[in-house]
Amino acid sequence: MAQFDKLTEKMLRGFAGRTSRRSVFSILGTMLTGAATLPLLPVARAMASERPSSSDPNSGDTPPQSTGNPQDPGDPSKCDYWRYCAIDGSLCSCYGGTMNSCPPGTEMSPITWIGTCRNPADDRNYIVSYNDCCGGVPWGRCACQNNIGDRPVVRPQNNNEVTWCFGTQSQSYTCSVAIILGVAIDQK
Amino acid sequence: MVLNKIASSAIRVAALTSVCVAASAADFPNPLPAEPNLKIETLPAKYPTGWAFLNYAGDRIELRNVGSDSREVKGELQAHDSATLLIADQRPELYVIDTVWSRGARGERTDFITVYDKQTLNVAGEIVLPGGKRALITAMEGLTTFTDDQRMELVFNFTPASSVTVVDLVNRRVLGDIDIPGCSLVYPTGVRGFSTLCASGTLLSIKLDAAGAVAGRAESKAFNPLDTDPLFTASTTVAGIRYFPSLHGRIQPIDMRTDDVKIMADWPLVTAAEASAGWRPSGWQLVASDESKLLYVLMQPDAHEGSHKDPATEVWIYNVAGKTRIKRLRLVRPGSSIAITHGTDPLLLVQAGERLDAYDARDGGLVRSMDLPGFRSRLQIDTLR
Repeated sequence: MAQFDKLTEKMLRGFAGRTSRRSVFSILGTMLTGAATLPLLPVARAMASERPSSSDPNSGDTPPQSTGNPQDPGDPSKCDYWRYCAIDGSLCSCYGGTMNSCPPGTEMSPITWIGTCRNPADDRNYIVSYNDCCGGVPWGRCACQNNIGDRPVVRPQNNNEVTWCFGTQSQSYTCSVAIILGVAIDQK
Repeated sequence: MVLNKIASSAIRVAALTSVCVAASAADFPNPLPAEPNLKIETLPAKYPTGWAFLNYAGDRIELRNVGSDSREVKGELQAHDSATLLIADQRPELYVIDTVWSRGARGERTDFITVYDKQTLNVAGEIVLPGGKRALITAMEGLTTFTDDQRMELVFNFTPASSVTVVDLVNRRVLGDIDIPGCSLVYPTGVRGFSTLCASGTLLSIKLDAAGAVAGRAESKAFNPLDTDPLFTASTTVAGIRYFPSLHGRIQPIDMRTDDVKIMADWPLVTAAEASAGWRPSGWQLVASDESKLLYVLMQPDAHEGSHKDPATEVWIYNVAGKTRIKRLRLVRPGSSIAITHGTDPLLLVQAGERLDAYDARDGGLVRSMDLPGFRSRLQIDTLR
């Protein structure tokens, strides 16, 4: 986190020196994707009735996994696990990580993109941070393409085509995790 | 035991083969001539319009003969991470931007442009891009473009601060960087410049001088409603006007032919009834145009939140002058990326899963279907003039 704070400070100082205030605000919208600041962001939300989009057939047959928590239902090694509603990439659960931790030997990017997913067990919308794990060995296992809340790269914090490996030693993509940041505030 | 059987079968096949050869030798009195070794194929100076480059999500780039049923693959170009291709017609060169690390997935990062000779596919030069900042995004339109009559290449960077690197392709050197805070991607504009789509819903257009520095800057009013109906970033040009479809089914023309960029009036691709049935554009490279100035858009029914990159079931074809749809083409299998070949018998190419289907662009009939070995996620198709 300290490393991320330093990185953020360095970036913002750099921007402030060469951009207008208006531009800085537009950058902030892009940059404030660190975990601590995420709940402040406007979030494109998925509606309760929306279903996950297509799942990639490359997911293949992996042994079933479970969180063991009935309030967190589903298989974290499958594309249709509820918090993967906007994931586009390979599931770290299939590489030695879990739904919220990276595989050994990789680094987790502190700068991420986010989505909002409905938990079918408690019927709440959760803000989910899709952190990429970087510098490991990618080979396409458990590849998923779910796009709820995904938006064109013009709004990069809601885009899942970007390799979100920033602030890491290597920017080479390995896999993605889905970390619960909190309950989304309902937008009336 | 099994090995014995295999050996026995092999001997029988060999015997049969020699009998066949002996039996037919009279038909061919002369043996096959000795062949030169160390021979390497070359390509024509001007590629046929029946060929196309296929970019497998920036992992692999291949040149395919999509216009005939024989010897499909004509050549391959190295690609590692989010690699993008530009095809010059002013010089006999191809340009691939790529990123590698010195130890596979770790070590020192290098971003670079490889300059290829079009006839030999040999490396003719290399331009290293400093700073390790080029955008690592699935290969797609807008990550790079030519400008200045192909003398310059522009490279979109994302760190996540946005900037553009200006490259002199003639002298093969980097000219400098331009910050575009809050904006993404590059589209060629005017004689020498680019436009970029901004998170505030505007379009920022930047004019460059001959040294690649900013010579002018203009920002449009907000026209891209990112909260309600954002534009896809894929576009196509018809008569010089660039057309962007929106997620909910509008088409947004923008005139970028001069530095005085004009956001033109948008119009609907779908009727109210079709919108009610959930018809929306969807896919990856989801728009194309042909030399008859027709616009092609991949469309899917029953669209819903999150389905905007799913394969589409139909291609809808429009006359942009009259803002009217002239045809609906139902695909033999749902497709995600489309392109039209140039020349006398244009083909509509459709990437459909692990297949590349070629339709007659005029009558919509399926002409041939090719495989896409190693295809995993997205395909970018570049057809040739």
